[in-house]
Amino acid sequence: MEEMNILDQKFDVAVVGAGPAGLAAAYYLAKKGFKTVVLERGREIGSKSIYGGRIYAAPLKEIYPNFNSMPVHRWVKKERISIMPDYESMISIDYQGKDAISFTAYLTEVVKWMGIQAETAGATIITDVPVTNFYRENNKVAGVVSGEDVLRSDVVVDAEGVNRLVLEASGIVKPLKPELVALGVKEVLKGDSKQIEDAFGLSQDEGLAWVFLGAATANVPGGAFLYTNRDSVSLGVVVLLDKAIVNLKDHISQLVESLRTAPALKNYLKNLRISEYSAHLIPEDVWSLRPERLVYDGLLITGDAAGLLLNAGYTYRGVDFAAYSGYLAGKAIESAHAQGDYGAGALSSYEKMLKDSIVIKELNRFRKVHEIMKNNLLFEKYPKIMSGVMKRMFENSDGPSKAWDAINESCKENQYSMLKLLINGYKIVRAL
Amino acid sequence: MGLDIILLFKYVPNTTTVNVDPNTGTLIREGVPSVVNPHDLVAAEFALKLKEKYGGKIMAMIMAPPSATKGIEYLVGMGIDEGILLTDRVYGGADTLATSYVLSQAIKKVVSHYDLIVAGQETLDSSTAHIGAQVSSWLGIPYVYYVTEAEIQDGHMIVTRQLETYIEKYKVKLPALISVLMHSLQPRDVTLKNKIKAVKEKPIKVYTNNELQLNPLCTGLKGSPTIVAKTEFIGKIPRKMQIMQGKPPEEMVSWLISKLKEEKVI
Repeated sequence: MEEMNILDQKFDVAVVGAGPAGLAAAYYLAKKGFKTVVLERGREIGSKSIYGGRIYAAPLKEIYPNFNSMPVHRWVKKERISIMPDYESMISIDYQGKDAISFTAYLTEVVKWMGIQAETAGATIITDVPVTNFYRENNKVAGVVSGEDVLRSDVVVDAEGVNRLVLEASGIVKPLKPELVALGVKEVLKGDSKQIEDAFGLSQDEGLAWVFLGAATANVPGGAFLYTNRDSVSLGVVVLLDKAIVNLKDHISQLVESLRTAPALKNYLKNLRISEYSAHLIPEDVWSLRPERLVYDGLLITGDAAGLLLNAGYTYRGVDFAAYSGYLAGKAIESAHAQGDYGAGALSSYEKMLKDSIVIKELNRFRKVHEIMKNNLLFEKYPKIMSGVMKRMFENSDGPSKAWDAINESCKENQYSMLKLLINGYKIVRAL
Repeated sequence: MGLDIILLFKYVPNTTTVNVDPNTGTLIREGVPSVVNPHDLVAAEFALKLKEKYGGKIMAMIMAPPSATKGIEYLVGMGIDEGILLTDRVYGGADTLATSYVLSQAIKKVVSHYDLIVAGQETLDSSTAHIGAQVSSWLGIPYVYYVTEAEIQDGHMIVTRQLETYIEKYKVKLPALISVLMHSLQPRDVTLKNKIKAVKEKPIKVYTNNELQLNPLCTGLKGSPTIVAKTEFIGKIPRKMQIMQGKPPEEMVSWLISKLKEEKVI
């Protein structure tokens, strides 16, 4: 074993990772007077944080009393789901709401804002430093190791994200398997705010969240999304990694490219220029991904690292859950401190609070989605059947077919039983 | 003994991640994070190796807007002892002459003693390689560039300079200024211990023109005789990627050679 260099400084709490989970934990703890340090391996706060484009506000409002200074771009008042049988056509459902519960933003800006809140509350943020393992004393986590340096702390919050190098090094979780994660790729397409509002029929500050199924992912299980930011659009594709490895013929970046240039979308994206490209892993089978426990002696696991990400099949929700789990970890540490004990028992209020929170409640609600998502029919056969139905109804020069006949004929054409379609359709609706 | 070393550096947009606006030919800086000029990281590594061998102290110095304190923190994270930031509105818009003037005057006014000044070969964003030569001229000290090694012998420094086909060795009197050959060393990573020191102790001194009292006509835009008349975007070199695979190595090699000959590369 390498020689360890135990540093003189000691903190009450060391947080691994300056993303939404880690910064929310650090903010809460620093505010309560805990000497808190956040260690980030990226060059800047949030430099490893990537997401689709939308954040649900309620959990963040609870964490941050000054939520109104959050760098929000647009409040999502329009939702659209489109099924694309091919790149030329789509079947869409639109919803226009009155009250917006989620907003679009650049995650880099949001995380930077969260960093400022944590630092203002008194937390120390150290970038450019990778944590390589936990430091243990008497089998309890009692700090972090980075190279040869050991920084001691009473308790550690693991908020390292989906790529759990520290949890792996410490033997708490096994390395990620392709079937447990999805791969997301995203482009930011820039214009000006008026262009965005005109193209998508939005008023000022109003946003659109749009998801695509079918051809948008080259029929690989997954989904595609478009979010309108202030003066740009986030356009991305998410595919299950194990399915993508087998089924994708082109480089994954080609999927976004094809979507961006799809005839069905081109009028929306005219005159926007690509300003950013990014890719990230997303917890997919969150139930298998979750570590056996989220609390160990001296350690709490939060955010993506804990698999606390909602996969609704066609869309994902992670940033606010990550932040909320960090916040609850902070609360658990506060109460453990009051008991004078950072053992797993004293910290277990974290798991209890999570269970009663929106995070686990929502995760449970969408529990069956992963199984359905694995079903290729949903992404290949069904869009084709639906498209056949629509064609018969709207592109029949002898006049429209009756809907029932159209479904029946389209099923026959695609060699699929209508009864099966109805049963599966019912199952899907139940699960989603 | 021990060497007192000054490390000159620049904080530059991370141009490996930057696009050029094809219409104006200028860098798109919007949202581009800044980094310590990579060639200066090589110089920092060079200075740290000297310090490990001879002892002493390394001070990083930069003339830049206040955001460059992040750059000093990074260097302290690597093991540099402290930093000096020279910042003032009247230093803004400087060319290399005005920059080297401020750096050299600050060295005269606020640095009590130094044996060696170390700089990178050039910067990532402007590639002039002027600063080392100009600072040494202002200070009237010897200057050697493309340096790969340095050692102390009998109160002098023996400096190895690497050129394309041969190496030269110079015996220089101290203090001297050397600029380090780019890519000649792998800069070390930041360590937790040093980065905590950088952030918690902030060993950074800031000087404005209130303290330095330099003639504003010699600094910033006013002190800069250089005028950039035009920049032109050359465009990207088109790549002709071809892939050959799954054949016996002999066949693939002769295929590669014939292709390279076709392209007149060999």
